Amino acid sequence: MRSKNTILALVVALVLAVASYVILAFVGLSGERGEGMAVRGGFYLQEAATPVMEDLTTVYNLVTYIIAGIVAFVLGLMAYIMIRYREKANPVPSKTSHNTLIEVVWTIVPVLILLVIAVPSMQLLYFQDRIPETEVTVKAVGNTWNWEYSYPDHEDVDSFVSNPLDKTQSTDAGKPYLFATDAALVVPVNTKVKVLVTSVNNMHSWTVPSFGIKMDAVPGIINETWFEVYEEGTYYGQCSEICGIKHYYMPIEVEVVSKEAYAAWIANGGSFDGSVAENNNMTGVQTAAAPK
Amino acid sequence: MVAIPESEVPAEGGYDDDGKPGFFARWFYSTNHKDIGTLYLIFGIISGLIGGFLSFMMRMELAEPGIQFFTNEHQYLVYVSMHGLIMIFFMVMPALIGGFGNWFVPIMVGAPDMAFPRMNNLSFWLLPTALICLLISFVVPGNANGNGFGGSWVMYPPLSTTGHPGPAFDFIIIGLLAAGFSSIFGAINFITTILNMRAPGMTMHKMPLFAWAVLVTAFLLLLALPVLAAALFMLFTDRIAGGTGFFDPARGGDPQMFQHLFWFFGHPEVYIMILPAFGIVSHIVSTFSKKPIFGYLGMAYAMVAIGVVGFVVWAHHMYTVGMDVNLKAYFLAATLVIAVPTGVKIFSWLATMWGGSIRFTIPMQWALAFIFLFVVGGVTGVMLANAGVDAYLHDTYYVVAHFHYVLSMGAVFGIFAGFYYWFGKMFGVMYNKFLAAAHFWLFFIGVNVIFFPQHFLGLNGMPRRYVDYPEEFAIWNSVSSMGAWITLAGVAFFFAMLIEAFIVRRRVGDNYWGEGATTLEWTLSSPPPYHQFNTLPRIEDNAEH
Amino acid sequence: MAGHAVEHDYHLIPPSPWPFLSGIAALVWGVGMVVFFAGLVPRTGESPMLEFFFSKGLDSLQDSYRAAGDKVGADGGWIILVVGTLFAAYVMYGWWKDVAAESKAGDHTPVVDIGLRYGMIMFIMQEAMFFVGWFWMFFELGLFHKMRAAWNPDVLENADEYATSMAPGIKGVDPWNLPLMNTVILLLSGTTVTWAHHALIHGDRRGAKWGLGLTVLLGILFTFVQGYEYLELFHERTEGHPWISTDAFGSAFFMATGFHGLHVLIGTIFLAIMYLRLVKGGLRPEKHFGLEAAAWYWHFVDVVWLFLFAFVYIIFAVGM
Ligand code: HEA
Ligand code: HEA
Ligand code: CUA
Ligand SMILES: [Cu+2]
Repeated sequence: MRSKNTILALVVALVLAVASYVILAFVGLSGERGEGMAVRGGFYLQEAATPVMEDLTTVYNLVTYIIAGIVAFVLGLMAYIMIRYREKANPVPSKTSHNTLIEVVWTIVPVLILLVIAVPSMQLLYFQDRIPETEVTVKAVGNTWNWEYSYPDHEDVDSFVSNPLDKTQSTDAGKPYLFATDAALVVPVNTKVKVLVTSVNNMHSWTVPSFGIKMDAVPGIINETWFEVYEEGTYYGQCSEICGIKHYYMPIEVEVVSKEAYAAWIANGGSFDGSVAENNNMTGVQTAAAPK
Repeated sequence: MVAIPESEVPAEGGYDDDGKPGFFARWFYSTNHKDIGTLYLIFGIISGLIGGFLSFMMRMELAEPGIQFFTNEHQYLVYVSMHGLIMIFFMVMPALIGGFGNWFVPIMVGAPDMAFPRMNNLSFWLLPTALICLLISFVVPGNANGNGFGGSWVMYPPLSTTGHPGPAFDFIIIGLLAAGFSSIFGAINFITTILNMRAPGMTMHKMPLFAWAVLVTAFLLLLALPVLAAALFMLFTDRIAGGTGFFDPARGGDPQMFQHLFWFFGHPEVYIMILPAFGIVSHIVSTFSKKPIFGYLGMAYAMVAIGVVGFVVWAHHMYTVGMDVNLKAYFLAATLVIAVPTGVKIFSWLATMWGGSIRFTIPMQWALAFIFLFVVGGVTGVMLANAGVDAYLHDTYYVVAHFHYVLSMGAVFGIFAGFYYWFGKMFGVMYNKFLAAAHFWLFFIGVNVIFFPQHFLGLNGMPRRYVDYPEEFAIWNSVSSMGAWITLAGVAFFFAMLIEAFIVRRRVGDNYWGEGATTLEWTLSSPPPYHQFNTLPRIEDNAEH
Repeated sequence: MAGHAVEHDYHLIPPSPWPFLSGIAALVWGVGMVVFFAGLVPRTGESPMLEFFFSKGLDSLQDSYRAAGDKVGADGGWIILVVGTLFAAYVMYGWWKDVAAESKAGDHTPVVDIGLRYGMIMFIMQEAMFFVGWFWMFFELGLFHKMRAAWNPDVLENADEYATSMAPGIKGVDPWNLPLMNTVILLLSGTTVTWAHHALIHGDRRGAKWGLGLTVLLGILFTFVQGYEYLELFHERTEGHPWISTDAFGSAFFMATGFHGLHVLIGTIFLAIMYLRLVKGGLRPEKHFGLEAAAWYWHFVDVVWLFLFAFVYIIFAVGM
């Protein structure tokens, strides 16, 4: 009798766990995924653009499966208990209050599950944190409230300020409001890029979700991280450390271009076609949109 | 002693025939743990209203993209910061520790009162002082953008030092110091009461789990809060012109050091908020399953383990600050460990119900919801513990969802569970079941609708503390804000329940839950006499927990 | 009180005004702190209440904030602070007087006495954690200054010097001078207080008075030496001596030693009260927890000083 109950309960719980996997597989993990930015009504990670983000997605999926299973298991067990042992169905309560075996089991099993999580998680962590040989270095300096980018290896590329586009400007430019800036950080595709992040006043955080990067910009400290983007395109992120009133209004825009285009951009001193006009235009927008 | 005739007692300082002093002396000069507990509960409800109001305004603002309700962005950040601080320091802590702890720890261990009754009242009266300081901070200048402090409840410098030169933040520092001393004195009081005033025969291993929970909590408070006090002092002196330079990099200081000090307090703090709720849920589950708690010792020592490990995981809040990778790996591993003792608690609750004869009373509904929703919040914590993944999720709404599942559903559900469980015991009257059920269901549905979609927002990349957001996040934000309306209706039913119960006054007996309720408070009248246990109870050797 | 006869030894206390008044005193004192140190000036004229209460008038602070990033202290803040302090002192006096009276009346039964001991131990643990915060800050500054110098040479003034010393250009305080003297003073006072305690236990009230009196004097002496050292540093702060605002080391040095000094002051007052009680005939050989608590506290303050002496003075002088 006893063991039959136990088995039934476990079956109910496991069925629920499996059901949650199915739901996750069909709904959760297969949500529409935009390129380089959030998607409308999205409920899943942004699409991976770098190897780090790919690994991150894998670990995220693994952990999600595990924790969804745990939640469903607990829910199933609770449902079973609530039905089977409600007052009507079981008027006389048992008096058991100890069972060493089961107590050991529910200590050991979570430990094992956690080991399963910890191993890939550590691998991801070290992969993400250990900076490989990089070819390009860029520097992002947080300021209240915009980002200033520079290319320490190229002295003739002036550092430039990247200000957000306001609503009309972004509509005109056909870019998403609160993501778009007037001057994107330009980097080459399929190249390992090192990012130096720091701040000159309040803390900020340089974030590009689809790169799997979030690095705090702290005054007095230079943080380093790296990325390598697979595909050309524009990638967006937003400041992710509270920095004052315009915290929501200092987006990050990264333009990933072909290696040739990047070389040209550098050669032209930070402009694709060498026209000074583009730069002037940028500066013009900067002053207009500067939120101070 | 001799009873003094009513006519001869002076209006103030006199005693009625139950030994109760006159109104002013009773409520302002109180030295009675039950009265002080009631004061704490009232205080918690008032703070809950303030904090809830702030969060409701935030949700209204976030219902759609654009800035609609707030006059400027600064004001929104002020609301966020004050919401966090008030909910944590002035709602959850006073209700769980000050309120239920004061009411029931002395009774459960069989003591007539707390060890230091006068200091107990000091703990309480520092709180209104602290809250007043926080409220003053709303109306004095924060920085050039407006009144109030908008640097989040974590108060990181330089935003909280050079970023807010106005006195608003100084008031918050003073308020938090006062609240901190209040909690430290409370912790000393609880530890002494529990260690020194247990009734004859009440060994540590016979002590009810709620008392264990408060004991561990008190130690966490005692060891964590002083570090916060030091950090707050550093902020205070850093802010004074010509003052210290702890967090000023130009003078060799280190802004990240504040984060270490803060989270060394902050992480134990989150267990401070949840352990008493664990204790309450244990009692409720056991009572309404009519079974003794399963694995009592495991339950007690799981809490001790959570408390101990809770002190060495703080930097999981700082994975993105640029820590050394080996440190991150350590904090990753240590954080995962906490899931084990917490799992022991969850499974022991389920095992307590297993084979029981379960009654779905209102407190039991809250407790069951607590168990499930806490697991949901807990496992997302395990997700965040993975430092690699946290580089994506940190400071997104995924974190907000995580901690509201453990706080707004964990700690708050624990509070309501305890409130309904002991309502009759504390006030001598029974609540209206319909109103209470409506409160529960609206609240249950409401908070889930608010916070479940926030996981999606976080996964999609939406950062926290944003007053305005891109359209991509609009759908789930509007769902979340609808949930706030439902929750608001739930809160309304809570107050309706309170008012109704005190108008109708359905009297209850000593042990109105019957069979399963075995702890000492159920041997007393409802409400208990003004001074209980003038003759100390004696705990028999074979007694259950 | 009515009800059944009380059959236990715990100490139930009748209603007392002191906690409530403490809350009010804390509020006054806290507001005083803010007004004194930070000023309290409404930014705009929207609040007549504030205008009425605070002296600086209604000129918009926006510009001064932007320009200076400094705060403008309000006139008269010190009045609130002094009132708050006096109020708090009055409350403490009343509270402790009650406690002493209760002790005399025999309310402190053995079990209550044990409770008081627990309470004092917990309080000292709490104080210890407070100092952990300050030492943590100090060690962080001391151990990682090289790293910070490397991190951001643009922001850190004298980054090069920071790479070799945690406080460039600052000659630490010579530990073998006044600090050594203070160490000896405190260690000596640790023995005198033990002497007083033992004397009291053996019924030698004269010896107890001498021991306690000496301890108090040594405590005062310590405070004077410390104050003298501060003054000297203040005068020489331009010549490469640390000062609180020169750099983070100065900050850590002054805040840690300053809070220690505050605790010495509290401990001295605590001991002085015990001395007065002793002189007035209080404190019996078999029951004198007040004195023991004061002694515990004093030893704690002593240990904190040893840590300060070892790390903040000696190790810094040797080079960190
Ligand atoms: C009551 C409060 C509370 C509680 C109990 C917890 C519990 C936990 N929290 Fe949470 N947390 C907060 C309140 C709380 N937290 C707050 C307020 C913040 C944000 C602060 C801010 O930035 O403003 C935060 C943030 C936060 C972060 C930082 C995120 C970030 O900013 O990037 C992390 C990262 O590790 C984390 C982890 C955890 C973990 C691992 C637990 C664990 O204790 C959970 C353990 C429970 C379970 C795991 C479920 C039950 C167990 C089982 C059913 C057994 C089987 C399970 C497994 C094998 C996995 N929390
Ligand atoms: C215990 C803590 C607690 C509680 C209960 C809540 C409850 C709620 N919170 Fe909050 N929240 C925080 C702690 C809490 N929160 C913290 C720490 C932050 C981070 C702040 C920061 O970033 O600095 C935050 C941030 C936060 C945000 C993110 C803001 C941003 O980053 O921009 C949002 C947005 O939706 C939000 C919403 C809500 C809502 C709608 C509720 C609703 O659930 C509210 C419903 C009302 C109640 C739950 C109150 C009911 C209780 C009583 C009436 C008292 C009862 C007492 C007794 C019976 C004794 N909260
Ligand atoms: Cu910059 Cu947030
Ligand atoms: Cu934590």
